[in-house]
Amino acid sequence: MENRPLEYDYTVAKMFMVTTIVLGIVGMSIGVFIAFELAFPGLNTILGSGLAEYTNFSRLRPLHTDAVAFGFTVSGIFATWFYVGQRVLKVSMAESKFLMFIGKLQFWLYIIGVAAAVVSLFMGYTSSKEYAEFEWPVDIAIVVVWVLWGVSIFGLIGIRREKSLYISIWYYIATFLGVAMLYLFNNMEVPTMLATSAAGESGIGSWFHSVSMYAGTNDALVQWWYGHNAVAFVFTVPIIAMIYYFLPKESGQAIYSYKLSLLSFWGLMFVYLWAGGHHLLFSTVPDWMQTMGSIFSVVLILPSWGSAINMLLTMKGEWQQVAASPLIKFMVLASTFYMFSTLEGPIQAIKSVNAIAHFTDWIVGHVHDGTLGWVGFMIIAALYHMAPRVFKREIYSKKLMATQFWVQTLGIVLYFTSMWIAGITQGMMWRAHDEFGNLAYSFIDTVDVLHPYYALRGTGGLFYLIGFFMFAYNIYKTMSARPVEEHELQNASPMGA
Amino acid sequence: MNIAEIQAYGYFAITVFMTVALYAYIYHLYKNRKDADGHDYEEYSNLVLNDDIGDTMVKPISDKKEK
Amino acid sequence: MFHWLEKNPFLFSVGVFVVIAFAGLIEIIPNFAEASRPVIGTKPYSTLEIAGRQVYIKNSCNACHSQLIRPFKAETDRYGHYSLSGEYAYDRPFLWGSKRTGPDLMRVGNYRTTEWHENHMKSPQSIVPTSIMPAYPWMFTNKADIDTAFAEQLTVSQFFGVPYNKPVPMKDGTTKVVKMGKSIAEARALALEEAKKVAADMKDQDVKDAVAKGEIPEIVALIAYLNSLK
Repeated sequence: MENRPLEYDYTVAKMFMVTTIVLGIVGMSIGVFIAFELAFPGLNTILGSGLAEYTNFSRLRPLHTDAVAFGFTVSGIFATWFYVGQRVLKVSMAESKFLMFIGKLQFWLYIIGVAAAVVSLFMGYTSSKEYAEFEWPVDIAIVVVWVLWGVSIFGLIGIRREKSLYISIWYYIATFLGVAMLYLFNNMEVPTMLATSAAGESGIGSWFHSVSMYAGTNDALVQWWYGHNAVAFVFTVPIIAMIYYFLPKESGQAIYSYKLSLLSFWGLMFVYLWAGGHHLLFSTVPDWMQTMGSIFSVVLILPSWGSAINMLLTMKGEWQQVAASPLIKFMVLASTFYMFSTLEGPIQAIKSVNAIAHFTDWIVGHVHDGTLGWVGFMIIAALYHMAPRVFKREIYSKKLMATQFWVQTLGIVLYFTSMWIAGITQGMMWRAHDEFGNLAYSFIDTVDVLHPYYALRGTGGLFYLIGFFMFAYNIYKTMSARPVEEHELQNASPMGA
Repeated sequence: MNIAEIQAYGYFAITVFMTVALYAYIYHLYKNRKDADGHDYEEYSNLVLNDDIGDTMVKPISDKKEK
Repeated sequence: MFHWLEKNPFLFSVGVFVVIAFAGLIEIIPNFAEASRPVIGTKPYSTLEIAGRQVYIKNSCNACHSQLIRPFKAETDRYGHYSLSGEYAYDRPFLWGSKRTGPDLMRVGNYRTTEWHENHMKSPQSIVPTSIMPAYPWMFTNKADIDTAFAEQLTVSQFFGVPYNKPVPMKDGTTKVVKMGKSIAEARALALEEAKKVAADMKDQDVKDAVAKGEIPEIVALIAYLNSLK
């Protein structure tokens, strides 16, 4: 045993790969279902009116957002960390029993946290703050999982062989710090069981209930500082960490400019946190904060495009790989969607555009360009790249992967085009006045007009979900595919027909 | 001086400082091309390209021989 | 010059943290020093209204309905006076929402009645034929959690100084006192008293019977909350 050469140990990475796929299916299925509920409201009672409480749009909506953000995406972040972290630090998890234990503990606590979150959201236990809906006991579980991940990151860095930290590690560290700070401050809450009545009674009512530390406008300010930057540190920063590893590795190309990647990193860190104010334009938060949110959102194009262009230029002179490999296609399209949504976002943050776009489906469309196109595609690509290496098998089917790519791309295009039209149409109709200065449309007029776009959006989402099932099947079959030799794995992933 | 003033001065000073630091960093990166250990920054791409556990390291943390 | 930052994981992490914490420090903390004060006419929620607010949150009504009127003619025409910061002084959490799949509810108490809400929650399509809002029949049978609402009142008054049992200035120059029970039993009695007034305007016989028996269905609490939004 002692004489076996040291190898990277992917046990924990494999565990999180499974949860990425399972929670992806859960979250996206709920998403498709609630999308069709908006188009066909009869679906709200699909399991009968007795169970309607649990199949209703409003009860399921937080489940969708949290399952894809904290289930699919965060699992994907963990899975790739436990793969990339070892490799670029050139140290194996097998070398430290402690880190292996912490990794497994983190996984099982995460599973318990996910179960508690799903059950409590179904029951209607929610703090109502977007992407921070969990009540305080679940919050505590999440904090523990996060701290364990921190121990993993810094523990592995502590025993590394390679002195320099690769840029992906920078991004993973930033993810850890950013989410920790945001999550803690936004979820400051007082459990109501702590209060005592004048008669001396305490522990009154449900123990699964709390009150936010902040009130009204302040609460909104903290929530959108969190809400926007959760997007930064869950949907952007760790995904950049992934693409800086997986794209060069899969294509065999050095990053176009490593220096540019360092610059974009610091630019992104500094600018992103200011932009939260753009969720509160024309609200009751102070004007200077709204303006600041608007300006910094526009400035944010620079560091975002710095990373995206760096990725696309990495493929310079190697574009035949994009045609040849569906895996590279996923990553190149992911960077393209990243550029697209980081341009769209600042446009929506301009005050005059925001006046129309806010509260409409255009915002929903924008989120989904980013999550389906950038986050989803990058995580899918990362898992495809990891699968042959962690299972020592070739990817089951290249053809299926290519089909998946086109089906999902079509899904995204249907999604964002329908939401653009829906959002701008509704925004314009809300503000339309007739020649006498009266409102031109009643609210329901602006809802009726959206029906075809809602149906189209649901269809787009369904395509994406079907593609995701292809992905799950392909990975599942990969576990039993033809074995590959170790040395074939250097760059391009081996794929079966 | 009330908190709003402290905030305003603090904001201005730190923003200026960070902007200067960022541009100094840009200048440093493109002027020197190498970090203080004499490694060209672009060499760090090799951290990914040669990331097998037996591959040559860009910069080992110690000189101990790998066995 | 920058080498220490690039090579030392600890100093690097400190550097990242300083850069990302900067925005929060500048934007958020000073604003808290001048936390929003309630405008004249804004009063704390009663026990039943809080129970209704919890029903609103439990069912994520805020996923589709905003409570924020922006200062545009189209919005003030449709929903009433634009929102003021002080009007939210007692909102923990805030319920501005981020998507208007349905209309804004900031001042819905000004132009909708108990009866309207009752019919609408039972079957939205009976009032607005093409509405895509689902019906909420379970609110007519589920019981509101008055104890937790009372606990919330106690919490906000003890931790955040919300003025219960104290005179609060109104717009017409008078004052109003929002009562909070001294014990669970008293809180339940106060809520029931208020619930009876709401139920008197309702038609559903089961709801009326339940209230007569001393039980409070969720719909009664929710309507009390919606009526308080003005």
